Amino acid sequence: MPGLAVGADEGGHSRAVRMALVAAVLVAVVLIWEGAKWLGGDPWRLHNTLFGIRIDYEHTPPFHWPIASDIALPHIWVILAAFVLPYQRFGDPAWLVLLEAALYTFREALVGFVLGALLGLGLGIVFVRSRLLERAFMPYVVASQAVPLITIAPIIVIFFGNAWTSVALISAYLTFFPVTVSALRGLRAADPRAFEYFRSTAASERQMLTKLRLPAAVPYLFVAFRISAAAAVVGAIIGELPNGLQQGVGGLILQSSQYYVTGPERLWATVIAAALLGLACVGAVALAERLLTRGRYRTVSA
Amino acid sequence: MNAVVELVGSSKTFGAGRAATVALQGIDLSIGVGEFVSLIGPSGCGKSTLLRLIGDLIPATSGEVRVNGKPAAQARRGREYGIVFQAPVLMDWRTVDRNVELPLEISGVPRAERRARAAAMLKLVELADFGGRYPWQLSGGMQQRVAIARALATDPALLLMDEPFGALDEMTRERLNLELMRIWRSTGTTVVFVTHSIPEAVFLSGRVVVMSARPGRVTRVVDIDLPQPRTAETRNQERYFELVTTVRAALRAGGADAAAAEAEGLGTEPADAERIVAEGLA
Amino acid sequence: MSARIRGALPSFLIFVGVLLVWEFGLAALNVQSFVLPRPTVILAALVDQADLLARATLYTGSEVVGGLLVGCGLGVLAAFAAARWRTVREGFLPMGVAASSIPILALAPLTNIWFTAESATSRMAIVAVLTFFPMMVNTVRGLTQVDPAALELMTACAASEGQILRKLRIPNALPYMFTGLKVATTLAVIGAVVGEYFGGPLAALGVYIQSEAYNFRYNHAWAAILIACAMGIGFYVLAILAERVVLPWHASERRAEGAQLGH
Repeated sequence: MPGLAVGADEGGHSRAVRMALVAAVLVAVVLIWEGAKWLGGDPWRLHNTLFGIRIDYEHTPPFHWPIASDIALPHIWVILAAFVLPYQRFGDPAWLVLLEAALYTFREALVGFVLGALLGLGLGIVFVRSRLLERAFMPYVVASQAVPLITIAPIIVIFFGNAWTSVALISAYLTFFPVTVSALRGLRAADPRAFEYFRSTAASERQMLTKLRLPAAVPYLFVAFRISAAAAVVGAIIGELPNGLQQGVGGLILQSSQYYVTGPERLWATVIAAALLGLACVGAVALAERLLTRGRYRTVSA
Repeated sequence: MNAVVELVGSSKTFGAGRAATVALQGIDLSIGVGEFVSLIGPSGCGKSTLLRLIGDLIPATSGEVRVNGKPAAQARRGREYGIVFQAPVLMDWRTVDRNVELPLEISGVPRAERRARAAAMLKLVELADFGGRYPWQLSGGMQQRVAIARALATDPALLLMDEPFGALDEMTRERLNLELMRIWRSTGTTVVFVTHSIPEAVFLSGRVVVMSARPGRVTRVVDIDLPQPRTAETRNQERYFELVTTVRAALRAGGADAAAAEAEGLGTEPADAERIVAEGLA
Repeated sequence: MSARIRGALPSFLIFVGVLLVWEFGLAALNVQSFVLPRPTVILAALVDQADLLARATLYTGSEVVGGLLVGCGLGVLAAFAAARWRTVREGFLPMGVAASSIPILALAPLTNIWFTAESATSRMAIVAVLTFFPMMVNTVRGLTQVDPAALELMTACAASEGQILRKLRIPNALPYMFTGLKVATTLAVIGAVVGEYFGGPLAALGVYIQSEAYNFRYNHAWAAILIACAMGIGFYVLAILAERVVLPWHASERRAEGAQLGH
């Protein structure tokens, strides 16, 4: 029955084949990208001497699509080259500038993440203990998922004055909601019979929390941490936009988009750096999860 | 004898090479028209696998499986049997009567006929008033009766039942056993019934096929000569208790394996079931 | 019904309490009311700026709707391809997971360059990219995470691939698709408003919020933020209502209808 077993991905291809498939998708993206430029991009000319052989090649695409022009869609090799060329004239190479900016944004996101995660976990514990507080505040936690409160970023930035603090706060704000929701679910996730067992041993509330609720919540918390890690990075980048923090990735995105025409590849390189930062943060959480919980929990869904 | 189900030297091996497990080995079994046959045995004896060979849900590794005189695959494509699983497997999004209509829809039966047929089947399982409900509005026992109605909707010559009452409480199970007997008498369908309950097997069956594990094989077939129809009174007969004892002894005779199987694989049942499903679909 | 009111009472009291403290307490505490104006002041700004805000709301709303349609539509299409062919799935699903860790909003300057910042298409593109992935990932889950026993049942009935898709996979996927849609609506509003922080016409909520905050007219900025929040909740509620209509069997309905029957 080919095609039926879509549910059982464990029976799918080997790891190597799957990696190759992901690579194939990436290659396809590159081919479409450069293919579009070949067909509808700007004309280019290769004029050089390689190993004593003179090369003189000219390519004039048959169509002219604005979206495939060198300004809108630089050649991939130009973007890659932008990482080693100076970011600003006579300055450091771009990869160094971007790495420093990424570390700067990472610190903001990390502070925000830690604050948000602690707050989220704390709220979860409080709500589990008090039905009244949960009933009073939980609707707002849920509603806030639907509210684009990140839109108040410009005001937070002005309110707190200190740009760095405000960015970390925005980041924390985006972090704490997923953690609260998951913590609440996780703290209640233990087997009901286990709760009965603890009650039968006359365990205190605190013992129930540390020995039953928290351990049972760990896999749920990590699901939230993965979501939050990405959100914290987004929050840090968005937070940098309105206050002109030039040291971070967000600031560089804004800056390079303002000077886009003089070097479109710089914006692309910066956006790629932002993507890598997000992947690295989520990857770090996933790695921590694997090291800390390996083999002890079954997987839970978000 | 006119066989509805016929297995000749059927074997099933999961996996290959060193990881291979022989689930069934050299099964010979013939089930005649209108018979009620139970398959019983310890966990891992391959009774569910055997049922799936008959239903062509997984292919046999070797040997022959025939249903209604045709290869099992052909019988399945001809929609010649109905099946009931341990879980009701009802579609949440369909009302009860539309759940019963499902196999008829798949066979392309016109709507009016489908409706009439589903109504008749729900009447048969005494759920005539519940056609418009959704499955979650029904108790577990009622859901399983809907599953039986669905299996019988196409009026199949063969009904396969895989521990259909295994998840129900003892009282519900006994009541449904009685009801199943009534349905079986009124439809005359041939039934192959997998169970791990000795009293259930004895009460329902004309023959009980006793199996043992590692590798799964038939160790003994016990004829149940209790009079028909089987009623609540049947369970009080001397002969009933004797037959329960006989089947228990037969299970114990294959017991060396059974005990080993149990010691080796405590709680292997779900894993087995998962593997069977995965293999069947691959 | 009265139990429901009693359940909602604590949160309603909080709401009223916060409004009262905000309105009367902040002045007493001498908090910078300039940055955080009183609710009545914000409401006044809302009325005062009604014209411009209405146009901005329509403009940003059109970006949200357009982007949602394109993103969710493509997401569902991609999901069907991914569910059908394992090779496609194994190539694309890791991309979907990776995309959720990437700050996609950082693409806003790029779409501004492709479609020009003044064009709503630019934000629609951002919204479409943002909503594509959650929709695709959830739909693939729904189409593939089918009860194996139900698949066996379909096999036992000798159902064709098409019948399995129509009668099992798609109905099974609908609740997952609504989960994806709910996530997508939230992301869509964020995407449109924050995307406008990178540029756009003045009659757009994001541009308006930023320029008014920059010019110290916080009451105006807050009025627009209020609208953005209402828009977020509005689209979310719409998605929930649609879910109720389309999925009468679904779990959220069960609670409303009460306990199951006995024997």
